[in-house]
Parts: sequence; structure tokens; C-alpha cells
Amino acid sequence: MTDVSAETRDSGRASRKRDRRGNPFSRFFRSLSLFVSQILDELRKVVRPTRSELVNYTIVVIVFVVFMMALVSTLDFGFTKLVLWLFGG
Amino acid sequence: MLTAFTRAFKTPDLRRKLLFTFGIIAIFRLGSHVPVPGVSYSAVQACIKNAPTTTGVLGLANLFSGGALLQLSIFALGIMPYITASIIVQLLTVVIPRFEALKKEGQQGQTKMTQYTRYLTIGLAVLQSSTLITFAQNPQNLFGPTCTSILPNDSIPTLVIMVLTMTAGTGLVMWLGELVTDKGIGNGMSLLIFTSIAASFPSSLWAIQQRDGRWDIFFGVILLGFLIIALVVFVEQSQRRIPVQYAKRQVGRQMYGGTSTYIPLKVNMAGVIPVIFASSLLALPTLVAQFNRSATGNQPGWVTWIDANLVKGDHPIYMALYIGLILFFTFFYVSITFNPTEVADNMKKYGGFIPGIRAGRPTAEYLDYVITRITVPGAIYLALISLIPLVALVLVGANQNFPFGGTSILIIVGVGLETVKQIESQLQQRHYEGFLR
Repeated sequence: MTDVSAETRDSGRASRKRDRRGNPFSRFFRSLSLFVSQILDELRKVVRPTRSELVNYTIVVIVFVVFMMALVSTLDFGFTKLVLWLFGG
Repeated sequence: MLTAFTRAFKTPDLRRKLLFTFGIIAIFRLGSHVPVPGVSYSAVQACIKNAPTTTGVLGLANLFSGGALLQLSIFALGIMPYITASIIVQLLTVVIPRFEALKKEGQQGQTKMTQYTRYLTIGLAVLQSSTLITFAQNPQNLFGPTCTSILPNDSIPTLVIMVLTMTAGTGLVMWLGELVTDKGIGNGMSLLIFTSIAASFPSSLWAIQQRDGRWDIFFGVILLGFLIIALVVFVEQSQRRIPVQYAKRQVGRQMYGGTSTYIPLKVNMAGVIPVIFASSLLALPTLVAQFNRSATGNQPGWVTWIDANLVKGDHPIYMALYIGLILFFTFFYVSITFNPTEVADNMKKYGGFIPGIRAGRPTAEYLDYVITRITVPGAIYLALISLIPLVALVLVGANQNFPFGGTSILIIVGVGLETVKQIESQLQQRHYEGFLR
């Protein structure tokens, strides 16, 4: 896993003239494959959450969502009854 | 974990903030149930009961208002006009030079922009409430053919009062949101949307169970939901860190800088906004078609075409357009919110540089290079997540507001993470150990 991005980046700029070779199709695919490899290269440098972080955050989010769902459902139940009593008749 | 929650309630000022937020949420939900004057409450309830699962035109808006839209309550429009207004103002900063100048002005300009956003919100609220009430005059469009009339008296003064009430409701919601941001926990706007979505979660989950009365599908869907939440958390937390080194410098007798930090570039930098954009834009043709539809069958050809291709979420043309729009808006929005030249200039001003890259234009070019490359997977991820409800439509026959997909899940996880992190930092200020460890 070497740092290829710097090289491809520089060579990308330098070789823009040289890449005029070939028919439009092969030129297009060559630049596309360069772009994809650059994307993969950047993705490799992305800092991902560790396993424990991931588990922790997921549980916290789920607990939070369930808690809010319970709170809102209780409120809604009460308010529906109240509003029905007020305006329903 | 649980002890952290009790500890959060034992800290006096955090407890005050939490209770304040809950109070605001309660007021918000109450307002979502109180009907607007001039509407027959019992007729609306009967119509909602018989209505087919709401898809299409008003689906998204109804989701964002937590079901208040179809109940024609005083908070029927909810927070939607404010979101639209703030997105529009944000976009206008690119187009209108005056807005750009305001943005650069700092605090004072920001205040001015907020003011403009509020005016625009009121304008949009008038527009949207009038549209909604036009629909309510012919409730067949909203609730299906069984529903004939929900307004006992549709004279002009009554209609004006309804529009005024809904607009005032939107203003109140806006104020509630800002109160939460000021005195409560988390970002008020996002927390209110979160509440609305959480309100519709139980019923849409229950609809899946009711459809064929099987518990295994129900629990399967919930399990799948947890997996999707984990996936979203994973992507939201991953970032490309660009190292920045600050030069040491002396101002007077004090030393500044000399530290090394990083610029965090999230893989999904655009957040939910591209998805909201794409779905509201796709709802437009349906809305236009709605006004040109006739019961007798002699409608223009394009209306038939829209009905056939753009109304149902599982149609290939709809999906292709949806994906295309999301990809486009992701890049568009990132290019608006992240300006490499500005970041590079700021870094230069404070004596910072990226190791191995010269300050100024090369830095801006490098940032642009990275952000373009990193946004591609981000955009694909957004498109995939927002396709989940459309696929679920086919697989388990859930309605379009399938709880674990698209905008809902992105907002739920985003707001959840943000809010919990804020509570966490409040706890840590008082030397308590928080939730996240």
C-alpha cells in the first residue's frame, strides 16, 4: 500500500498532452480507469470507525431512537384521546 | 450505558435542558393533533381510516410532518417550509452576490441571512397552506374516492382563516425549533423532523405486520433495520483526514501554533439534502399532473405518461431518474458547501499547510482532487440507501415511507448521533464519563 496518489496526480497532469494518443474510446476508458484507481486509492486512506466504536454508536443510536419513539407514541396516544374528546363530538 | 442516562439526569443544568427539549417536543406533538378551524375533525378521521396508504405527491411532506399534514392540523406544514427556505437561501449564496457578501461578513451577515430565511419561510408557508387547502376542498385527491367532503363551510373568509392559522403554526414551529437550539439539546430543526419521523415509525412498522399477519417478516424487517443503522453509522463516521501542519509563530510574547491537526472530510459530506432535493423534485410532475387529471378519462397524453411512469416508486424510469438526481445533487451540494479555495486561503492566512504540498493554489487543487474522489463513493452510497424503500415496496409491500430507508434512516441516524454527542460533551464538561465508551 504505497502512496500512489501523489504520483498519479502529478503524472495525470503531466501526461494530459501525452494521452492524446489513441482513438477517443480508448482514451475515455484510460482516463476512466485512472479515475477509478484514484478513487480506490483515496478510499484506502479513509479512517474507518473501529469495531467497538461502531458497536457503541449503533447501540446508542438505536436506544435513542427507541426512547424517542416510545416518548412520542405515548404523547400521541394521549393527545389523540384529548383532541377526540374535544372536537370529536 | 443506563447509568450514563441516569447521570445525565442528575446533572442539574443538563437535566433542565433535557426536560426543556421534551417539553417543546410535547407542544409540537400537541399542535400536530389540534385541527385547523373550519375542518370537520370526525370527517377527517373517517377519511384517514379509509385512505389507501399514502404514496406519491404528499407522502414525503406527510412523513416530515409526522402525519399532521393529512390531519389538517395547525402544524400541518410542520418544519418543511423552513427546511425548504434554508436550502433555497443556501443555494442563493452561489447565485446572488449580495448573499455571498453577507455570508463572508461573519456573525452579522449570518443574522441577516437567518432573517431572510424566516421571511421566505412565511412566504412558502402561505403558498403551501393554500395548496393544501385547495386539495382539502376536493378531498378525493388526498384520501381516495370514498372521501367526499371534510370542510363543512368553504366560504372565502373560512379558507383565509385556515391559511392564516397554518402559516402562524409554521411560524410557531420555527420558533420552537430555535428555542431548542438555544436552550435545549441538539439542533432544534433536525430534532423536530426527527420527532415527526419517529412518530410515524410505529404505525408503518405495524402496517408491515398487519399486511400478512406474520411475525417472522416483522422481526426480520426490524433486524434488517438494525443492520442498515449500523451501516449508516459506519459511513457517517468514516472520514478522510487531511493532515495540516501549523507553523509556530510568536505574537508579542506568546507562541502560537506549531500543532498538527487535520481537516476531516466525511465520505458522505452532503448529508440528507441531496435525497430530499431529488424526492421533492420528482414529486413535482405528479403534483402538476394532479391538477390536470380528470375523472372522465379525457386527460392530456402527458398526464397519462406521468401516471404510468413517475408515480410508482418501483418503476425503472422513476428509479433511474431518482438515482441520477441524487448523484447530481450530491456533487452539486458538496461543491456549494465545501469551497477548496476558501479553505486553502484560510490555511495560508493562519500559517497552516498540508505536508508535501505548497500553500495557496496547489493546496486548493489538492483539496479539490480529494473531495471529488471521495464524493463518488459517498454519492453511490446515498443513492443505494435511498433505493431501499423502493425495493422494500416490491419485496414486503411496505408503503413508500418504509421506515428503514432513504431520508428517514439518514435523518434518524444523523440526528441521533449529533444529539447524543452533544449530551456526551455536556456530560464530560462536568467530568463524568459519557455514553460513548
